[in-house]
Amino acid sequence: MRIDIEDLHVAYAGRTVVAGAHLIAAEGEITGLVGPNGSGKSTLLRTVYRHLKPTAGRVFLAGTDLRELSPVESARHVAALPQERGSDFELTVREVVGMGRTPYKRAFSGEDAADRDIVARALADVGMDEQAGRRFTALSGGERQRVLLARAFAQDPDVLVLDEPTNHLDIRHQVELLALLRAQRRTTLVSLHDLNAAASVCDRLHVLHAGSVVASGPPREVLTPALLAEVFGVRAAVVDHPLTGDPLIAFDHRAPADAEPAVAVETHTGA
Amino acid sequence: MTSTLERPKASASEECSLPATPLAVVLAVVLLAALTAAVAWGSTSIPPGEVWGVVRRRLSGEAPRPGTNDLIIWQLRVPRALLAALVGAGLGLVGTAVQALVRNPLADPYLLGISNGASLGAVAAIVLGAGAGGALGLGLSGAAFAGALATFALVWAVARRGGGFAPLRLVLAGVAIGQFLSGFTSYLVLQAGDEQQTHSVLFWLMGSLSGANWQMLAVPAVAVPVALLWLQARARGLNALLMGDETAAGLGIDVTRLRRELFTVTSVLTGVLVAVSGAIAFVALMVPHVCRLVVGGDHRRLLPVSALFGAVLLVVVDIVCRTAMDTQELPVGVVTSLLGAPALLYLLDRRLGSGS
Repeated sequence: MRIDIEDLHVAYAGRTVVAGAHLIAAEGEITGLVGPNGSGKSTLLRTVYRHLKPTAGRVFLAGTDLRELSPVESARHVAALPQERGSDFELTVREVVGMGRTPYKRAFSGEDAADRDIVARALADVGMDEQAGRRFTALSGGERQRVLLARAFAQDPDVLVLDEPTNHLDIRHQVELLALLRAQRRTTLVSLHDLNAAASVCDRLHVLHAGSVVASGPPREVLTPALLAEVFGVRAAVVDHPLTGDPLIAFDHRAPADAEPAVAVETHTGA
Repeated sequence: MTSTLERPKASASEECSLPATPLAVVLAVVLLAALTAAVAWGSTSIPPGEVWGVVRRRLSGEAPRPGTNDLIIWQLRVPRALLAALVGAGLGLVGTAVQALVRNPLADPYLLGISNGASLGAVAAIVLGAGAGGALGLGLSGAAFAGALATFALVWAVARRGGGFAPLRLVLAGVAIGQFLSGFTSYLVLQAGDEQQTHSVLFWLMGSLSGANWQMLAVPAVAVPVALLWLQARARGLNALLMGDETAAGLGIDVTRLRRELFTVTSVLTGVLVAVSGAIAFVALMVPHVCRLVVGGDHRRLLPVSALFGAVLLVVVDIVCRTAMDTQELPVGVVTSLLGAPALLYLLDRRLGSGS
């Protein structure tokens, strides 16, 4: 199922955060959303999994306006992995993953064999099947993130929406998680901070800047030194990755794009 | 390093969740035994056989046998034991629901200010005259319930501003308004005319089941089961709230609506409970906590088990209150605090000690 976002405007806490964004997430592809802090990535994603309502514009799921679907109906097609980490309420790993079945269940109904199957498969997909009985809060950060991803898988979605799924993970866990996403072959809309990860894992990127999409296309076409300077405010060279051949962005960590390269930097231009 | 290939086995101590159905059956049996004991024990001891004999005759409409303890059993002890069970079950439920509502396992319905409003209503009725005699009559319950509803409306108005019912906003509104109202209550207590009035105010503020009668049971006997069913129907939604509002929204739950309804239901139930028993401390906080350690956090198990355990706990505590001292009876809230605080500290300590 594809996602089409047309002229999306979203206000959050009284401020317009997304202002006229257009984008497409094509069927079966991994579509990346990149942009500096505050560019509206999370806010845009929140409208797709219906935590926020657009103030204007529309989100289409396989051609159907999301507003025409009930929250439960869209939750059967779109699963989200927000940046929340849960709280300490004695839930087990299996129970957390089992929550993915929520949109399919009526009040008072229990899990049937099919639900248990899907949950078991989701746990196996992320390699957490042998820890199903453990307390969720007793897990490490990387394990928790895998369990939350399994919860999204258990929702059996056509579309996965992930907000910075690799945050707070060490590099090995980042690589594992992104490999897991690639292996799923579902329509995936993911925001990523790490531009190199985005360049190697995404089929197509959308660059958000001040609430609108300023560039779209395959990573190699989008991530140019000019765009990195313009949108992210950094100096960078884009080369071929010696192992994978993917675009590799080599940042100049010594000075932002608008500073004189040779001068010691005293100003804090937090982009 | 943990990878997808190496899968560390879970240690036994980290496993949780007992199967809930056998536990619920055990708790139901224990509850019946506790109710029987509550009716049998007291200043006059009555054999359990006679207790059930009287209850059977009363329920089948036969005339009571002369020379039995019919009056003590049917008019005093049975309503009181049932009130303890209903209030305990209600507090267990309301505690579980509020902890999910504000996503904090240490929350308590009294945190949202409702009981302060009910207390102010009740104390105003006692001190300003409507509740003459100090017994927990209907006038007093009515005043307490009105106070609870007024406070609910006030907290609602403050908490909804800025959209949503964000947990922190709800707690802050509840705590601030609750403190404000208890200031008024303290002022009224100082204005109390005589020792008798002060005594009944204090008794009420601490929570007591001593005024139990059949009339008083009607409202909680409807409200508690209805609340249990209502919450049980939304158990998955409550589970999702634990993970966060965005996660819940992604699972197809209308979070704002669920919060609004939860706040309404828990407030009304709290009002009903406080109106008949005063503000009994610690039960609503402790019961869900203890039950979570035993059956885990899934509300489909937690809600019925919390209701049953709350009922058992309060029936047993009330037995202690009636029998601990020869000369007078203790307010039930005093005993729940004295037992509850150390029990909670022990549980938390054990839990933190096991490296969570």
